[in-house]
Amino acid sequence: MKVKLWGTRGSIPAPGPETIRYGGNTSCVGVTLADGSMLALDAGTGIRCLGLSLPDEPTRLHILLTHLHLDHIQGLVFFAPAFRPQTEIVIWGPASPEASLRDRIARYISAPLSPVEVRELPCDVSFRHCPESEWEIGSARIRSASVAHRGPTLGYRIDDGDSSLTYIPDHEPALGADLDELEEDWISGFELARDTDLLIHDGQYTDAEYPNHLGWGHSALEHSLSFARRTGAKRTVLFHHDPLHSDDELDQLAIEARQRWVELGGDPAAIELATERSEYELPARAASTVATA
Amino acid sequence: MSFVTQRPLELILARNLMSALSTPAFLVDEGGLLVFYNEAAGMLLGKRFEELGTVGPQEWGSLFGPFDERGEPIPYDDLPLVKAVRAGRPAHAEMTVRSTDGSQHDVEVSAFPIQTAHGSQGAIAVFWPALVGGNGAGPA
Repeated sequence: MKVKLWGTRGSIPAPGPETIRYGGNTSCVGVTLADGSMLALDAGTGIRCLGLSLPDEPTRLHILLTHLHLDHIQGLVFFAPAFRPQTEIVIWGPASPEASLRDRIARYISAPLSPVEVRELPCDVSFRHCPESEWEIGSARIRSASVAHRGPTLGYRIDDGDSSLTYIPDHEPALGADLDELEEDWISGFELARDTDLLIHDGQYTDAEYPNHLGWGHSALEHSLSFARRTGAKRTVLFHHDPLHSDDELDQLAIEARQRWVELGGDPAAIELATERSEYELPARAASTVATA
Repeated sequence: MSFVTQRPLELILARNLMSALSTPAFLVDEGGLLVFYNEAAGMLLGKRFEELGTVGPQEWGSLFGPFDERGEPIPYDDLPLVKAVRAGRPAHAEMTVRSTDGSQHDVEVSAFPIQTAHGSQGAIAVFWPALVGGNGAGPA
């Protein structure tokens, strides 16, 4: 399984010289499975460049949306493969009692917010609510679960061969809870991340910033580290950077994250901040994760 | 892959909220298993949840022996929490509960089901101190 980060920013795109190293595009992770199947985790503005990287030939791909906040779907109407008739796209996402996934996404892909409507997309696009049980895409087994965020929100676990990837970009598991004390079955997202090879997890706020954002659906560094430690993730990538965080500030956060991870007994090489265009290869039969960026 | 049996998110969030309340509150899962009560409820009953742990549906009712206004034990099936989790409807009742130290408390109990996109996930019951006089089953 190959993983590439196409958008690492949260909330709103944050382009500019001060964010050029960690990146300004919003959430999108490309995944190529062992059998060649392709997944996109979320469709923030990062999916635009993912689309440009794909060959102009018949393609089938799956887009797994965690939720429908704009920073996770904004790139859909700028995803080049969606405008090719030979492309088949399956969009997965959370169910809602309010409306179907298609109808909720169509609120964005419609006037006056979009120049095109869903029905006008030349590709073959379908929409599916994620099932409660595990399902298969290509060579992988996919599992989703509701996680603590605002509105219906999923996290995903992808098991391909013996390697596993967990993606929970928007997550506030410590809201009203002490992650260090809580039993594991009461921790939001725990089963998705347990012993995973690569955990891509919300790391939006510093501990100092969090009290002013309580209940906004995101984690402080303390919570991300605690969640990673409790779940036994082998490698953790802190993701969904706050748009106000410059590269220099993220450098400092990365240093602090490693120091605190060591204090928790972890390997400093096993924790890092997400950098746009970083790539990871999860070998089919190895516990280690190889960063190739 | 093997997974722990994780609680539904709605129960996790309910527990987190209840933990912050000063009103006694109880949480059962979709099978009627008592999976949590908060500190205020522990003070009312005289036993913290951490001391008691998860309790089966046939046991927890008798733990605090709810009585009606005549001092008769309220049948398990008539408890608001049971009604809420079984019927998926809110339920309310007045009753007297007994603490582990033998003291009795008149309370009003409001229970409501936790309905989600995946169906019923359990129910919450909140205990309110009864208004003056209570149900007359004992000293508050």
